[in-house]
Amino acid sequence: MTNGIGIWRCSGCGATYFPERLLCAHCHSGAFDRARVEEGVVEEITVIRHVLGQTEWQPKRVANVRTLGGPLMTVGLVEDAPVGSRIVLFEEGTAPFGRKLAAG
Amino acid sequence: MFNNAAIIGVGQSEYVRRPAPGQNAHTFIRDAAVAALKDAGLDAGEIQGMAVTSFSLAPDTAIDLAWRLGLSLRWLLQDTNGGSSAMNMLGHALRGVETGAASPILLVAGDATGLDGYAKIAANYNIATREHLAPLGHGGPNGVYALVTARQMKKYGLTKQHYGHMAIAQRAWAAMNPFAVYRTPLTMEEYLASPMVADPLTRYDCVPVVAGAQAIVIAHPDRCPKARAPVRVRAIRNSFNYDNQEGDGLATGISSFAGEFWQAADIAPEQVDVASIYDDYPAMVLAQLDDLGFIPGHDLARFASRDIAERRFPLNTCGGMMSAGQPGGPAGGLNGISEAVLQLQHRAGERQVANARYAVTTGYGMTLYRYGGTAAAAILERMS
Repeated sequence: MTNGIGIWRCSGCGATYFPERLLCAHCHSGAFDRARVEEGVVEEITVIRHVLGQTEWQPKRVANVRTLGGPLMTVGLVEDAPVGSRIVLFEEGTAPFGRKLAAG
Repeated sequence: MFNNAAIIGVGQSEYVRRPAPGQNAHTFIRDAAVAALKDAGLDAGEIQGMAVTSFSLAPDTAIDLAWRLGLSLRWLLQDTNGGSSAMNMLGHALRGVETGAASPILLVAGDATGLDGYAKIAANYNIATREHLAPLGHGGPNGVYALVTARQMKKYGLTKQHYGHMAIAQRAWAAMNPFAVYRTPLTMEEYLASPMVADPLTRYDCVPVVAGAQAIVIAHPDRCPKARAPVRVRAIRNSFNYDNQEGDGLATGISSFAGEFWQAADIAPEQVDVASIYDDYPAMVLAQLDDLGFIPGHDLARFASRDIAERRFPLNTCGGMMSAGQPGGPAGGLNGISEAVLQLQHRAGERQVANARYAVTTGYGMTLYRYGGTAAAAILERMS
């Protein structure tokens, strides 16, 4: 597990991306700086309760998250976090996850 | 406007929930091709061009299919644009015939992924899905469009009932389509009581994966069998990666060309008699209809509960993919085009819309990350 999620920031215009792009969609620069986003706000949530052909499936929470200082991102939630709540982001391999921001 | 190219024949294979031993994408496509050629009154040897879309043809490609079908061609295309593939192939084929590159051209779309094959496709749809979505357990497209649907419900004040109206109305149409896999009437009680798949999507919001194929034939209108009206295309437009996945997904790529599209078609939305709107999920049907200008005041709730529920608007009259079934890949898009042709040729049997002259057909698909990146629309017209 790695804290935060790695994103790409266009060196030309500052637009942020996840996943990685080849050229910036706004200024078409090919130069990007690496950056990390640490927190986000949950905008929508779904719980995947059934998957075709899977008989032992355990429900998974997946959310659309507006990251602070970065792009919109689809994130797995490891615990319940209601719409509108702030979450802490982390990576497992190439996959973005989030958990509730600790109180205080 | 295409004046020297038209749709002159349609055909399809059977649609089944699970392929039987010996059935595969190739055999379904063959059955659809044979049916379309017969419908067009053509021999296979007369075909000069072919376009195909299929996720389960691999490792074979279009040339392998031509070989297996015994077709020697001078125009060949394989399209990989998911739910927009059929519309994309239609545009290329019309231009191919119109410019003399080849005629007739056969368009085929078929898939027979089976459960395991579909699961592999869903988890490996593209690199973004494989690396950033599948490890979350996102459940394939259901997870992606669950989030889009939640967003649409919030923005437009929609309830589950609004989507239920669409599922019920399309099932009523499907009851009159002998090829549809689900033809038993559906009630709102049954719709609302169905199991949750990915909140807020329940069973009847998720398009059922089937095995099957469709085919149509494009040629000069003069090649159309006598006593049958050829169907021409007044306008066709496509959009690819219209917003770089930076929006909310509630507008599709159709929004990027709708104004110019209607201008090119030289008709108004009110003149459309039949609509085949790509229906992988109800939310995306409403989004496409709104983009096309069919929903006054962007009042999606009113349109769903009045125009769709009361079947004032002939939407997906074959039952759509939601009831007729979606061959588990890009093949479903040709389903709607075929239905529009049957309606405009006044050959839709019990489900015939009286005096149908104009139809709109769409395609939507290729989920890049947060929603689909391809979209297309066409206006079809009965030539008389």
